[in-house]
Amino acid sequence: MSLIIDKRKYNSRLIIGSGKYKDYIQTKNALDASGAEMITVALKRTNIGQKKNQKNLLDYIDSKKYQILPNTAGCYSAKDAIRVALIARELLNDNLLKLEVLSDKETLLPNEKETLLAAKELTNLGFSLMVYTTDNISLAKELEKVGCASVMPLASPIGSGKGLTNKENLKKIIKNSNVPIIVDAGIGTASDATIAMELGCDGVLINSAIAMSDDPILMAEAMKHAVISGRKAYTAKRMKISEVAISSSNKTNAIS
Amino acid sequence: MNIIINGKIFNVNQNSNISDILEKNNLNSDNIVVELNQEIISRSRWKDIKVNKNDKIEIITAVGGG
Repeated sequence: MSLIIDKRKYNSRLIIGSGKYKDYIQTKNALDASGAEMITVALKRTNIGQKKNQKNLLDYIDSKKYQILPNTAGCYSAKDAIRVALIARELLNDNLLKLEVLSDKETLLPNEKETLLAAKELTNLGFSLMVYTTDNISLAKELEKVGCASVMPLASPIGSGKGLTNKENLKKIIKNSNVPIIVDAGIGTASDATIAMELGCDGVLINSAIAMSDDPILMAEAMKHAVISGRKAYTAKRMKISEVAISSSNKTNAIS
Repeated sequence: MNIIINGKIFNVNQNSNISDILEKNNLNSDNIVVELNQEIISRSRWKDIKVNKNDKIEIITAVGGG
């Protein structure tokens, strides 16, 4: 079964970020190795005074092959996020957006009030939102109710690589939800991605764990397999845990 | 006359339009969005819109991000 977001189908349940790579070639190679079909980008002021025909990140990502997911990184209010959203739509001619409104530069945790406010306004403006949020169960439901296409709770703080610090909340968010739940932020290594998928997440969004590893291309490949593994294990439904040992071989006809 | 582009002061010719400014700064117009005083100016209007003294222009593009 594919991942469906805003009526678009994805075979891969891994979304990768494009930040912190050594250069755009490494970004492209990691994207290819990850098997992801969606990649996030941020919107920032361009460098003035660059050389003629200097290449841009978008020159390295084939938008026919990959879904580009612009984010509102760097926004701390609904007002700023809406401004960036409109710029993203103008640049990419697409309504799909990762909404991210943060509380402060120290924790980089989502600002719940401003996130919800921006989500309401932007869905009214026709945006399809994949919204970065806390592990707040009622807020996740609220964001779904206002029409977000996907809700993306954090596993742990952005760039921390601490993995899933809130499994119980994530499980409840998944259980309550009718839209895809994608874990965004905090994945540190392949097993974290697998655990997220085993819990029943519909996908994971990973940036730092790939880009900040010693070998981003190899780690991109590891994440690809981790997500596939986790999803398969979730679908296969794990065995029941037993308090006592149970022999794997048949007890009858033992050699004695 | 002086205008502000991405937070810095630039001296541009009177009667410059947005296209002139982009060309002068070697900006590849395919991958950028232009805001003039916080209003997005679509590509089709770049040649028609002239800038005035102290206008604030933001030229935005996609960069790496998660």
